Amino acid sequence: MTSLLIHLRRFSVYRGLTDLYARSPLARLLIVSIVPLLWILGTTAAPLAQMVIVSFYESFPVAEGETARWTLANYASFFERPLYLTAFLRSFVFATVVTLLTLLVVFPIAYYIAKVAPRGRRTRLLLLVIAPFWVSEIIRSFAWIVMLANRGAVNSFLSFIGIPGTPVELLYNNVSLTIGVIYLTSLYMLLPLYAALEKIDDNVLEAAANLGAPGWRRFLRIVLPLSRDGVVAGCSLVFLLVIGLYAMPQLLGGPGNTLFATTIGQIFAKAGASWPQGSAFSIILTGAALAYVGLFVAIFQRRGRGGA
Amino acid sequence: MSMKLRHLALPGLFWLFVAYLFLPLLVMAAMGFRDSNFVAFPIHSWTTKWYSEVLLDRDVMEALWLSARVAVFSTLISVAVGLPVAFAVARTSGIARGLLIALILLPAFLPVVVSAISLRIFIGRIGLETGTAAIAFGHAVGSVPFVVIMILTRLNTMGRNMADAARNLGADDVIILVRIVLPYLSPALLGAFMFCLLLSFEDFVRSFFLGGFEQTFPVLLFARLRFGFDPGLAAISTIVLIATTGFGLYAERFVRKRSLRSETSLTSGAKND
Repeated sequence: MTSLLIHLRRFSVYRGLTDLYARSPLARLLIVSIVPLLWILGTTAAPLAQMVIVSFYESFPVAEGETARWTLANYASFFERPLYLTAFLRSFVFATVVTLLTLLVVFPIAYYIAKVAPRGRRTRLLLLVIAPFWVSEIIRSFAWIVMLANRGAVNSFLSFIGIPGTPVELLYNNVSLTIGVIYLTSLYMLLPLYAALEKIDDNVLEAAANLGAPGWRRFLRIVLPLSRDGVVAGCSLVFLLVIGLYAMPQLLGGPGNTLFATTIGQIFAKAGASWPQGSAFSIILTGAALAYVGLFVAIFQRRGRGGA
Repeated sequence: MSMKLRHLALPGLFWLFVAYLFLPLLVMAAMGFRDSNFVAFPIHSWTTKWYSEVLLDRDVMEALWLSARVAVFSTLISVAVGLPVAFAVARTSGIARGLLIALILLPAFLPVVVSAISLRIFIGRIGLETGTAAIAFGHAVGSVPFVVIMILTRLNTMGRNMADAARNLGADDVIILVRIVLPYLSPALLGAFMFCLLLSFEDFVRSFFLGGFEQTFPVLLFARLRFGFDPGLAAISTIVLIATTGFGLYAERFVRKRSLRSETSLTSGAKND
């Protein structure tokens, strides 16, 4: 391979090009930046711009030979029907609650792997909890259906040990959905938390213990502040994941508890006629979600600096 | 009290969490052996017919084949784009770097539904039909941020010494790229490659909105789950689960070994040659 490249240097075109690359900052800039710029344009900037434009259309696609008519009605329709506003608010409450629950569930797990378990076993324990995440969202939803259905594993177990009143309705409500979604989100919480906790110096904890700080105090004054970055990153990731969930709420959630992402998805899954409305809703959701997470991150970072 | 917490409560919670993760999957695998047309417990008689029947199901096999093709295509695109993007990020600094990273990572932070839908509108505009190519493109959009992060992490650990030494010995930029930078990055590249394959294979939302009438495996499974369940679905889900988890574990091990080896061979390489 190298000999081939050295061979190439005999050709003046190749030499000229590599020399130009080595000497001219402009050529370097052009070559280095062309792929990122095209990619950003083609996958992020243009599709989002297109979506913003479509959200102001009266109809899409615009009929042949006609010019597009502009309107604000798509945005207005969000506020007109309580159906949409409720789904929107429900999404934010649900995502916030699930994020906090995920944090509560995953923090001790991450702490155990990063700080308590024997050093030599950490990678293996981490792999053990990561392994189920190589399974798709749909398969994991199905696994929970098999668990929670009226004739599923849990109900079968409950009637086996003689609990009266079985089958208990476990599926198709917010509880079953939450159980399923935490199954989906815990990895995104685990990895940032683990990374942050692992960095905490054991000596600091030991020193605090020697100086007589009880366990809860070491946790509040040392572990929690030092793992703040991990908490903020994990919560942001999980929130954004939950707010965009489309499939699992349809498989595990109740019919009366539609989330906003599902509403948007269904607008698009049905027919092309209402795409402008779906676009407007997408922009509302994205803007609100990013603002919400941005605010959360800003508050925690400022507090961090003030406290330190 | 604190000792008790460390040595009893935390391990207890950990293993409880492991049970929470694995029990549903094991229960589903068992359901695939139920000798009945319905998904229900308890299981009185067992059969392996679902596991063998489902492998003859044409639709399932076609969906799996499409998923596999899409995974390979989208992974090739993701790595081919992610590599130069990572180089670009590594070479910029200050505000430009921050802006570049933010724009590159943005698709990973958008709600997935919104990302998929914006691509759905956009591909119609540029004249691309829904189908295999559109799904692969959509998956690449989702994967590139991860590829960039994985390559950048590795790139940041690489000193300038090796490239400078090669340059002093007369190597041009192409030789430095091919003989020094790419070999150093190879564990990250392989890791990104395998991670992208899994990411694409698992994806539902982008496949659903960009696939049109073409169904990848998760889309097919979703459609069937909405009609009703039979143990055959549990059987095929279990087969796919074992395949992807096995692949994931293998990939993780392979990449970890490889990056350890390349570190030792780059620092003590002269001796071995």
